[in-house]
Amino acid sequence: MQAERRGLGVLRRTWAMTWKDVTVELRARERVNAMLFFAALVLFIFNFALGPDRDKLREVAPGLLWLAFLFTGMLGLGRSFQAERENECFEELLLTPGDRESIFFGKLAGNVLFMATAEALILPLFGILYNLDIWDSLPALALVAFLGTVGFSTLGTLLAAMTAHLRAREVMLPLLLFPLTVPVILGSVRATEAILSGAGLSGVSHWLKLLGGFDLIFLVVSPLVFEFVLEE
Amino acid sequence: MEERTVVTSVPWGPEPAPAPVADRPSATARVLGGAAALVLTTGLYVGLAVVPPDAVQGEVQRIMYLHVPSIVTAYLAFAVVFCASLLYLWKRDLRYDAVAVSSAEIGVLFTGITLATGSIWGKPTWGVWWTWDARLTLTAILFTIYVGYLMLRAFAEEPQAGARYGAVLAIVGFLDIPLNHMAVQWWRTLHQPSSILRPGGPSVASVMLVPLAINFAGLVLLYTYLLLERIRLERVRRRTAELTLKRGRRG
Amino acid sequence: MGNWGFIGLAYGLAALALVGYLVLLKGRLRSARDELEALERDGGRRKA
Repeated sequence: MQAERRGLGVLRRTWAMTWKDVTVELRARERVNAMLFFAALVLFIFNFALGPDRDKLREVAPGLLWLAFLFTGMLGLGRSFQAERENECFEELLLTPGDRESIFFGKLAGNVLFMATAEALILPLFGILYNLDIWDSLPALALVAFLGTVGFSTLGTLLAAMTAHLRAREVMLPLLLFPLTVPVILGSVRATEAILSGAGLSGVSHWLKLLGGFDLIFLVVSPLVFEFVLEE
Repeated sequence: MEERTVVTSVPWGPEPAPAPVADRPSATARVLGGAAALVLTTGLYVGLAVVPPDAVQGEVQRIMYLHVPSIVTAYLAFAVVFCASLLYLWKRDLRYDAVAVSSAEIGVLFTGITLATGSIWGKPTWGVWWTWDARLTLTAILFTIYVGYLMLRAFAEEPQAGARYGAVLAIVGFLDIPLNHMAVQWWRTLHQPSSILRPGGPSVASVMLVPLAINFAGLVLLYTYLLLERIRLERVRRRTAELTLKRGRRG
Repeated sequence: MGNWGFIGLAYGLAALALVGYLVLLKGRLRSARDELEALERDGGRRKA
């Protein structure tokens, strides 16, 4: 009973945290708008960088898709503690009652939401611009994208909280996050590649397991160490 | 085992030590340094002159006697970083943090040596300086993670915060290694499978194990020596920072 | 480059890195100690 109530409390506080970020975003539209425009630009620029050869583009398409996802996600992560830092209310954040985990999960949920919104736009645009048939394999692609996004955002949220206090924070976040998320990047790109070339979910089961394992491990570890990041 | 000895033999007292701080290398450090030089010279001689060349690869395989012990030492160094970071978060004693940051720097050095020797070994064996082979790739990832760690430490504004962030990154980074290992293994497998740690015992000719073991012992000795000296540097620097802060406060 | 050339390159680079690191470390130690000493001397004078 007691444990159940505590669990509900964490959930409620997590929801409050996410809702705060989403409300701020809905009012200001700073982050998601920038992310969406940036994503479109990335797809556009890749085309210039690689030339219009359709076969060549198709070959590298999964990698490009994920680069667009990750760069866009990185843009969002970099701003995820911006409001707290600029208004100097990290302390207030710490004063919120209850466990620190709810702050972490709240921020994480917001970050996943923003990144997923951007991805929902990138994917169809990508299919159109690069002449790829993504519609048949959409559920499988969505599953891979979800697992990859959760993994990337989990470590991303943890590191964003950390780098928010550093000099050169804009540089440090990608510098720390990309090497740590190599398993996510490899897993997502390879799985996407296999799915786009016609393999079903069973054909990519080992990559899905890797992505799931990564998500699970860091969903458990990150909130535990998050406490040490926030402490003043 | 290794990290325990290192931590407990940190050569200074619990509170700000009296004036001349860490003036000279400790006796332990000097003995370790001498032993490292001796053992590594022996290993060099045995590996380059005594042991016969490999039946398949010929002479070039002698690079292995340097390449393999150096990556194992690097992993040892990163394990020390991990343990010291956990201990720091638990005990909140900055001495553990000094061990962590020192060990990370030396680990990066050994990882760099592994990458360089691996690349040089790759040229005559595979015909190219670099190939995205599983273990070379993993080593490169390891290198970037811990270079990131060192940069994070350099950019942290206050020592306490730097220590906490560093500890968190070290824990996450160390847990990331097995995942990276799996990912890279599935992506690419071109390297000869790990031949010493394979179930069913060593497949390397046992005569080759001799220089491997000697060099490994030598590099571990060298690592411990460098670690003690690097910790000494950390201690002097922290004392300086502490004094400067005190002076500044007094006016 | 022959086999021994590659071996020499590998061992040479490694030796250079290790010895170079050691020399740099000693240098860093020396300058850190000088800085601390200056600070301590300075502080002593100010106190007196």
